[in-house]
Amino acid sequence: MVTVRDKVDLLVVGSGAAGSVFAAEASAAGKQVVLLEAGPARTPDHLVSSQLWARRHKWGGAHVEEEGDHRVGHNFNAGWGTGGSTMHHYGVWPRLHENDFQTFTQYGQGLDWPLQYAELRPYYDRIQGTVGLSGDAIQERWRPPGDAYPMPPVPVFGQGRLLAEGFSRLDMHTAPLPLAINTIPYRGRPACLYDGWCDAGCPIGALGNAQTVFLAEAMQSGAVVRNEATVTRLLTSTDGKRIEGVEYRSADGSAHRLYAEVVVLAAFTVQNARLLLASANSRHPRGLANSSGLVGRYLMTHPTVSLYGLFDAETQPALGPTGGQLINQDGYDNKLAVKDAYGSFQWIIANAVKPNGLLGIANNRPDIYGSQLKPFLQRAVKHLGVMTLVAEDIALRENRVELSSKRDVFGVPLARAVHNQGKPSAALVAHAVQQGKAVLDAAGAREQWRGPQAGMHIMGGTVMGVDPAGSVTNSYGQSHDIDNLYIAGPGLFPGSGAVNPTFTVHALALRAAEQMLRNWP
Amino acid sequence: MEPLQQRRRFLKALLLAYPLVSGALLLSPAEARQRKLPLSVLDAEEAADLETVIEALVPGSAGAGAVHFIDYQLARPSADSLLMLRYLGVAEPHVNFYRSGLMALARHSIERYGKRPAELPAPALDQLITDLITDDTQDWAGPPASFLYFVWRSDGIDVTYGTEDGMAVLDTPYMAHIRPEQVW
Repeated sequence: MVTVRDKVDLLVVGSGAAGSVFAAEASAAGKQVVLLEAGPARTPDHLVSSQLWARRHKWGGAHVEEEGDHRVGHNFNAGWGTGGSTMHHYGVWPRLHENDFQTFTQYGQGLDWPLQYAELRPYYDRIQGTVGLSGDAIQERWRPPGDAYPMPPVPVFGQGRLLAEGFSRLDMHTAPLPLAINTIPYRGRPACLYDGWCDAGCPIGALGNAQTVFLAEAMQSGAVVRNEATVTRLLTSTDGKRIEGVEYRSADGSAHRLYAEVVVLAAFTVQNARLLLASANSRHPRGLANSSGLVGRYLMTHPTVSLYGLFDAETQPALGPTGGQLINQDGYDNKLAVKDAYGSFQWIIANAVKPNGLLGIANNRPDIYGSQLKPFLQRAVKHLGVMTLVAEDIALRENRVELSSKRDVFGVPLARAVHNQGKPSAALVAHAVQQGKAVLDAAGAREQWRGPQAGMHIMGGTVMGVDPAGSVTNSYGQSHDIDNLYIAGPGLFPGSGAVNPTFTVHALALRAAEQMLRNWP
Repeated sequence: MEPLQQRRRFLKALLLAYPLVSGALLLSPAEARQRKLPLSVLDAEEAADLETVIEALVPGSAGAGAVHFIDYQLARPSADSLLMLRYLGVAEPHVNFYRSGLMALARHSIERYGKRPAELPAPALDQLITDLITDDTQDWAGPPASFLYFVWRSDGIDVTYGTEDGMAVLDTPYMAHIRPEQVW
């Protein structure tokens, strides 16, 4: 039974990267904004420095079924609680490159974006100024046009120096990693202490996440976050032309309805698609915003492989940002450089690591156990070097989010995420791994090994485009079918590029929020 | 005083706090095991088998209270669980994963070696671990054996080396912003 009924100007589903930008912009413009967040309330006090406690920041909602030979790894990539996945993200914020936006036209692969880099650049620059990025734009010789970073780069610790030498010996270039991490006090937030706890959340506010920047701005302007509010259905008008609001369940399981002039669906890639599909009604029998039949389609994830080496010298692997210290994108701008392969890739170099955790030191050598384990760990905590490949995925229609026959506790069908890797992408990864092994050899690693290939970041499923028959939204994330429904987040990406998506998510959200306010219904 | 030094001043309290009597007394999993606190989810045979296998994978994990840690996490709502399993796409409730895995392990151990894992002599236990790693498990009716190996080994590492005490054993700095000292 529905127990509450109220109406606001803007209703945002999800309080992460994209939703927080919409909320900040709209509330600053005087709109009454409510964000419905499925996860619990989180404050900086909850960001305990522990790989164990950090697990509370990852997905804790309805189970997501996964299939395919290259699964997206939903639960590791998705967040849980105020701020969404930004609360455990590493703050690695490179920009997409100019050649990421027209991959179908230029290379016959994937989909074209409905906008060019030049149109997005001002929003990258403005977000960068607000959040405060550290880096060195000149050293990033592959970087597309953009303002210089407002802060100097993070320091380079032992493993970073060793690995950089390896790249250099192969005539490859490294630059400071662009990070949404303060290296000096910036806009009232302190500088980083480089103690490697980024993915447990940054309670001092040095890392730019939703709570430290845009969500804080939104709440100062009057926006309200309702936690443990699980949206179960989007509601349309009788004629199906407008979205009227949502139905959600609160912590006690009771049902509520909240109505709004505009709804922004910013619940991350998989849940966005799931909610649209699960909200089918007589006017939208295939799901909302789905006249194209493409809701859920073109699901993507960056193929990632970490390479590890043990060095004679001490490498200080506990120090620095979890995301890394340096970057290499030498292989980025020629997507056809490798025979039978397609795509760009980058190396993120010298990630801080802890002994435990899915990406921790012990689990990167799962073959070692028993009496050999402790000696390995004792050596690795002082001598390990890490570098992580991020490769491009190709938008393939058959990779998808669909509804399962099983349902969650509220009766909503579960999501099933199906993702297989295309052969050109697999060939790219194979090439890049060989390159990475050569770098570790050149760097002087005494022994080296690779981790398993996994999915990093989740994109697509509600792709933007020019043609309503070939996409779900326009370039602002506005549904082609329902004007007052916006979709936000990396699910909009028609292509993955090979860079971490959070910076682009913010830039797209700022551009979309301003368009929404200009065209307020 | 430098920030890192300031934080190191706080490295002495308990990490793996275990609740007893409405949180009035906090125990680490190791202390919970020493005091033989009752388990909530796992029965005695399951606990004994699990402890035996995890100790074989991660020496020291039994004394660190791995089974009490796992049992407590399985007893709480899955959204609050601190088990690494929540990352790995396994359907809830996670107790089903552990229980079905332990059942398959015990059955395999008895059929191939004549005894439950907790009763095996060291050479047979070594061979049982090899069976897990290599999925050499005929008629296995549970989660994939090599996956169980990965998860149980990770659990053991969490309790043994994922704490302030554990990192101290490895001589690597913990450097907490906020130390984990709340009741689980």
